[in-house]
Amino acid sequence: MSNVKQVRLIGFGGQGVVLAGTILAHSAIKDGRWVAGSSAYGAQARGGTARYDVIVAEDPIKFPHMISTDILIAFSQKAYEESLGQLSKEKALVIYDDLLVKPGTLPGVIQTGVPATDRAIKDLNNKQAANMVMLAAAAVLTGLTSQASLVRALEENSAPRFLEINRKALALGQDIGLNLKKI
Amino acid sequence: MARDLDAYLRQEVKSTPFCPGCGHGILMNIILRAIADMELDMKNILFVSGIGCAAWIPSPHFNGDTLHTLHGRAIAFATGAKMANPKLKVIVISGDGDLTSIGGNHLIHAARRNTNLTVICANNMIYGMTGGQVASTSPLGTITATTGEGNPYRPFDLCRLVLGAGAEYAARFSVTQPLVLMAAIKKALGMEDFTFIEALSPCPTQFGRRNKADSSVQMLKALMQDCITREQAKGMDKDLLKTKIITGEFHHE
Amino acid sequence: MNDTMEVQSALAPGSYFFTGNEAAAEGAIAAGCRYYAGYPITPSSEIMERMAQRLKEVDGVFMQMEDEIASICSVVGASWSGSKAMTATSGPGFSLMQEALGYGVFTETPLVLVDIQRAGPCTGQATKVGSGDLMQAKWGSHGDYQIIALSPWSVQEMYDQTIEAFNLSEQYRVPVFVMADEAVGHLRERMDISPLVQTRNRYKKSGAAPFGTEENDGVPPMPSFGEGESITVTGSTHNEFGVRKTDDPAVHERLVGRINNKILNHRENIIQSEAYSLDDAEVIVVAYGFTARSAFFAVDQLRKSGKKVGLLRLKTIWPFADGLINRIGKLGKKLFVPEMNSGQVYGEIRKYAGCEVIPYHQTNGRIIHPKDIIAHIERII
Ligand SMILES: Cc1ncc(C[n+]2csc(CCOP(=O)(O)OP(=O)(O)O)c2C)c(N)n1
Ligand code: SF4
Ligand SMILES: [Mg+2]
Repeated sequence: MSNVKQVRLIGFGGQGVVLAGTILAHSAIKDGRWVAGSSAYGAQARGGTARYDVIVAEDPIKFPHMISTDILIAFSQKAYEESLGQLSKEKALVIYDDLLVKPGTLPGVIQTGVPATDRAIKDLNNKQAANMVMLAAAAVLTGLTSQASLVRALEENSAPRFLEINRKALALGQDIGLNLKKI
Repeated sequence: MARDLDAYLRQEVKSTPFCPGCGHGILMNIILRAIADMELDMKNILFVSGIGCAAWIPSPHFNGDTLHTLHGRAIAFATGAKMANPKLKVIVISGDGDLTSIGGNHLIHAARRNTNLTVICANNMIYGMTGGQVASTSPLGTITATTGEGNPYRPFDLCRLVLGAGAEYAARFSVTQPLVLMAAIKKALGMEDFTFIEALSPCPTQFGRRNKADSSVQMLKALMQDCITREQAKGMDKDLLKTKIITGEFHHE
Repeated sequence: MNDTMEVQSALAPGSYFFTGNEAAAEGAIAAGCRYYAGYPITPSSEIMERMAQRLKEVDGVFMQMEDEIASICSVVGASWSGSKAMTATSGPGFSLMQEALGYGVFTETPLVLVDIQRAGPCTGQATKVGSGDLMQAKWGSHGDYQIIALSPWSVQEMYDQTIEAFNLSEQYRVPVFVMADEAVGHLRERMDISPLVQTRNRYKKSGAAPFGTEENDGVPPMPSFGEGESITVTGSTHNEFGVRKTDDPAVHERLVGRINNKILNHRENIIQSEAYSLDDAEVIVVAYGFTARSAFFAVDQLRKSGKKVGLLRLKTIWPFADGLINRIGKLGKKLFVPEMNSGQVYGEIRKYAGCEVIPYHQTNGRIIHPKDIIAHIERII
């Protein structure tokens, strides 16, 4: 992983974007990295968008807000479209939910569709768990954080009644990520 | 101040700063006698006051801990001191302007919380220290430095005010009724609740001279005439009653 | 004089993901704060909410008061009852507290106030950032006095400086302000808690004068209520035993002199700063609070493109780092001062720098972005 990664998780309210961002942040801290996070959701965010920006770095972070997006994790078409303008000029990475986002062509940007919602419904019978599927898949694809830390971060931040399904979702996401990586 | 109360007074400050005939000096005496009677340990009492002539009753004279604070804020300071050290007996002594006008909000909120404080309001119905301006306690028609034609507003009924805000016990007596006033103070000090004593205390300098009571003796006499008990008030002619001050104890109903 | 003490940190050592406001509350608990009083106000309320919960866990006292005046007054009362005490607020509440802060200064009461600065004046933009309260921190109450004001730039520093604020307030018997801004208060980032925390105990000496020292810049010992010392405390001018002396010019002069000197004469020990890449720098950015984060990033970028730029970060705002600025100014360089106000610290820097000082003001409720700092410096270098 290069020194600083600016990650934007974005979707609409209710998709668990903020929880996914929070768990990513805690997880990266458990890996020993430096992390800064900021969120916009509810009334603050225009048009019902929920967003969580996480900066993950190997060293203490100089400027803790996002300057441009190195890694975009998009949970909806609107969120995807809104966020393209902020993509970093070099080596930006886009990861999107392939059921909810129809990506456009972006020269020089690697875009990867993850069947997060699709598999959350089919394998787990729980659409709500798509955020954790997406998170674990993105972690594998980007090297942002380890699966072990993700699971520990989940245990500390998930409501007890969702813990079991979220654990399964992380495992499923990891699988999906590993398969996508092989391609 | 009488010799027998010497132990209750700070050695290095001997004289009090009050004008001749000021009721605050009498009240000072009554408060210390109540404490002496109850054999309370001065070392465990914190006296908190605001700013005004009345705020000088405890500070620096009383030989316990004294905290002379800001105008209106005595109860807020007292709340912090009491909450941080619940073992302290905390007594707030200040003026009517201080406690009920600028500090009125703290008064009602302390009553609402039932913070374990005894608040003694030396009510001279005027801003004494600043030269006799109208107060929230000045009777209708009172001539003051800022109401040359007479006060156009009604005064607070302080006991009803604090009871309405939740005080467990309130009493109103005049310094011309020293024994009942002292008994009320003792009762309040014996409770573990927010308790309120309204002590009517004449200010000959700023109130008396503007309102046809030229000497302090006249003022004291007038107070003695004006203060009636609740029993006496029953069945009294309405217009006459308006000129009277009903004294007594008032409990939370 | 007063003893420092190492205590176990309140939270388990390790890395946390806190907001600045949460970190301030944790710093307070770690420093030994056991009394909090406050009144809700954006963007500081999270400090109060966390203190409500944490003080319960450590057997402290939490009071939500009827207003900010009551809050700060009760904090002073609690401090005299022997507690380490604090409040937190934002602009409008800070304004209401000024009279009582003067009382805290004049009665030499240790207390900590965290101001999460928002975009003023008045109600302004309640949820937006600013740093316009710095002069108010210095001069908000009437009369001549000194306080100590710190400026954190990170979540870690919200924790560290809140602890430091308690220690300084005990050491110098003075209200200490943590002048954070909304951007740091609401920033969430990693912060590390180490196993041991340096704290300072109140200096006590039975029978000693609580309001005077032999030296004209000393800090007297401080007894507490209920210790049998018959303390008399007043906001009127008082002699060394606390007895009111409102007629004696010598007493007034001595007291006012000492409460100023005890801070000013020790300012080299109080003031803290950090410097980055100052050697050979042609332009030195002087910044504090969140703006120093933007400046740090900007300086790093500019260095990468070969520009000779450095950063001086003020961790202490008051007492002002006059000597340091004077030394930096003597290097004959240009100083560039970005601030989220109309130049409150710029004015101080100009007083002492003796070289060209270029202000950059932004009062739009937004943080100063690194790209704006870069653009401006490229113009002046
Ligand atoms: C904030 C503030 N406003 C005004 C004053 C001026 N002031 C001093 S004493 C006082 C009135 C005191 O009246 P009261 O509390 O009734 O006491 P009294 O002197 O009548 O006993 C006032 C207005 C002040 N000290 N502080
Ligand atoms: S002005 Fe009035 S209240 Fe003040 S000391 Fe004189 S008589 Fe008493
Ligand atoms: Mg009065």
